[in-house]
Amino acid sequence: MPKQIYDVIVIGTGAGGGMAIKTLCEAGLKVCALNSGRRLDPEKDFRNHRMSYEMKYRGFGDPKTRMKDTPGFLDSEYNQGAWEHDIAFTTAPGTRWMWPRCSAVGGKTNFWGRSSARFGDIDFRAATLDGYDVDWPVAYDEMAPYYTRVEKMIGVSSTVQNRPSNPDGVYLPPFNFRCLDMILRHGCQKVGVPYLPDRLAQLTEDHNGHPACHYCGDCTFGCEVGAFFSSPWFLLPAAGASGNLELKTNAIAKNILVDDNGHASGVAYLDRESRQEYEIQGRAVVVAASCIESARIMLNSKSRQWPTGIANSSGQLGRNLCDHLYATTASGYLPQLLGQPNFPDNITGNTIAWMPRWQNLEDAHEEKFIRGYSVYPDGGCAEFPWYYDKIEGFGSSCKQEIKRRYPTPVSFTIQAPTLPSSKNFVEIDPEAKDSFGIPQARIHFEWGDNELRMFQHGKQMSADVFNSAGAVLEYAADEPEMPGFSLHETGTCRMGNDATKFVTNRFGQTHDVPNLFVCDASVFLNCTDKTTTLSILAFTLRTNEYLVEQFRRANL
Amino acid sequence: MAGQSIERREVLRILAVASAAATFPGFSKWSFACGHIGKKLAQIKPAVYQPLFFTSPEYATIERLTDIIIPADDTPGAREAGVAEFIDLMVSRDSNLQPDFRNGLRWLDMHSKKTSGQPFMKLNPGQQTALLEPLAYKNKFRPGEEAGRKFFARVREYTMLGFYTSEIGLKELDFPGLIHSYAVSPSCPHKDDPEHRHLPPAPALSKS
Repeated sequence: MPKQIYDVIVIGTGAGGGMAIKTLCEAGLKVCALNSGRRLDPEKDFRNHRMSYEMKYRGFGDPKTRMKDTPGFLDSEYNQGAWEHDIAFTTAPGTRWMWPRCSAVGGKTNFWGRSSARFGDIDFRAATLDGYDVDWPVAYDEMAPYYTRVEKMIGVSSTVQNRPSNPDGVYLPPFNFRCLDMILRHGCQKVGVPYLPDRLAQLTEDHNGHPACHYCGDCTFGCEVGAFFSSPWFLLPAAGASGNLELKTNAIAKNILVDDNGHASGVAYLDRESRQEYEIQGRAVVVAASCIESARIMLNSKSRQWPTGIANSSGQLGRNLCDHLYATTASGYLPQLLGQPNFPDNITGNTIAWMPRWQNLEDAHEEKFIRGYSVYPDGGCAEFPWYYDKIEGFGSSCKQEIKRRYPTPVSFTIQAPTLPSSKNFVEIDPEAKDSFGIPQARIHFEWGDNELRMFQHGKQMSADVFNSAGAVLEYAADEPEMPGFSLHETGTCRMGNDATKFVTNRFGQTHDVPNLFVCDASVFLNCTDKTTTLSILAFTLRTNEYLVEQFRRANL
Repeated sequence: MAGQSIERREVLRILAVASAAATFPGFSKWSFACGHIGKKLAQIKPAVYQPLFFTSPEYATIERLTDIIIPADDTPGAREAGVAEFIDLMVSRDSNLQPDFRNGLRWLDMHSKKTSGQPFMKLNPGQQTALLEPLAYKNKFRPGEEAGRKFFARVREYTMLGFYTSEIGLKELDFPGLIHSYAVSPSCPHKDDPEHRHLPPAPALSKS
């Protein structure tokens, strides 16, 4: 029997992989998708309908086995078994990095935060405006139609806001403002900070056959009905229905195979359970394994033609790793709400509101830093009263005070982009291999002055907003969260027109290898002040329509 | 589960959760499985709890401490919520915590004997409270009791974690998520008072 040759092999099934798979399959191409973990069963694996007291460790997870250095909400008893524990990585001396990865089908889209703002020209043309680094090889006008199509596909709830740094899109009705939003908006108005509904890929109305949210529990534990965007609910079913998809689960991509010309000819992968190695053949390969993993796979794809990793003639593969600096810039409570009736204001744990970038809009050098950051407010009746350590003592009075405070907590988180830096990159550890025998990624990362200045500025602004809103400020972080915490890493396969300086071209196609495409945030020039998922979807849609066109013209 | 009525599915869900829960600590005083579904009642009998990590006297002290930290008053407290069982389970699975608790319990009894001539559990409630107050309130801190303060903070932390993740604790707070779904995105009912300066007065704290 002749060996099967797929049209396209897609590595990864998250936002990028899922959109690639859907676009290719619907265009009639035969696709083999590799996913490093298993499929999830929403009824079994998503425990958001379960209360803390219905679980052995009350949702905290077994202290003996739970992952250290990982935020509890990402890898907890509510969704255990979905996160990667077997594939290790190393860090360079002095680097701190956490790397929570969801290896289940659909990747992190199963549990993501859902904030979905478009990038704008202020991001794409940032270098022209402030002189740092280079512009993106695309303009906003070119991307806008793709953003619109993605928003219509997945459903994004927000409002038209006419903000200079935030192009508006096509929106479902927004989430309603809660008491805390009304109070904070009033405070923000007094100090000139915008306070607006966030853009959320979470449905306030039925949309394209997907049901509206029923506000049942924390979305970061997964959705049993598919009321927010995730690849398994929104993208993979259509691909499966086309009859053109073969999905291999527990298939850990090891390296990309090449033919005599150095073009991609297939992928070698390991079965997670049997640890047996397999090879599959394809006419094109899409790498969508997430920023660092995609770089690792490509750097590990060494051959006679590509001695330092496939498509790395520029030497830029793995370079310019960026991340969002996350930190609590203020937390405390709203005394206006002390003892008031509780309100279901934090049920799904979503970012109902945000304070979108307001710095350096008129003049790129107005502040002591370049570019800008955004802030997410959070608060209200979270399930657990984490403020208990702010109330001292014991006994009935303490118990009553904890109850009185329950509707009042509020905290701000800053989302500040790092600038691309030669100090921050991914390489292959020359010695360490993971338990599958694959050389590990080694991460080099440190915060730069620009983002640390944003952090200080954000703390001052947050204190001002707290003050003018009548909130009581109890805490602001001294240090940012550990790098990697945001899960918004970008760079490593940046796109640009100059083949000597960039790994991919403006379509996410590698300059060196015309049948190799990258479809995740690794093609982004930097991480901007916005989250990455919506843009991964828009760029991937564009890349894969371009890929299909190349097939039609028989260029591949 | 297609084809089954919602009621039938709910019974099965509660029974499945109940039978699993009955096998692990933190639940011998378990009441949440006693849900009424139609006219049926699913109930699990309370068992006598056997500590996994603590000795019986240690466990009794931990349970007493949780009871002091979150007492039953108008509403049930930490003892009713089985918080000591939760603490025992978590400590039994965490070798970093074990010395904190064991040494802390030892400190508490030594301190109690030194100041009152009796181990902690032999003191009357007033004496117990008097011994704990300098460990719990900043303005009552005393030099030389750092180890005791650290221990008390640990017990308090785990009491909070255990209590406010129990059904009793979440009912005490009136956690809105106890209702499993809402029809619309909840919104502020005080549109005419954006600053929330004129809300109806909150009930005053009762004297404890």
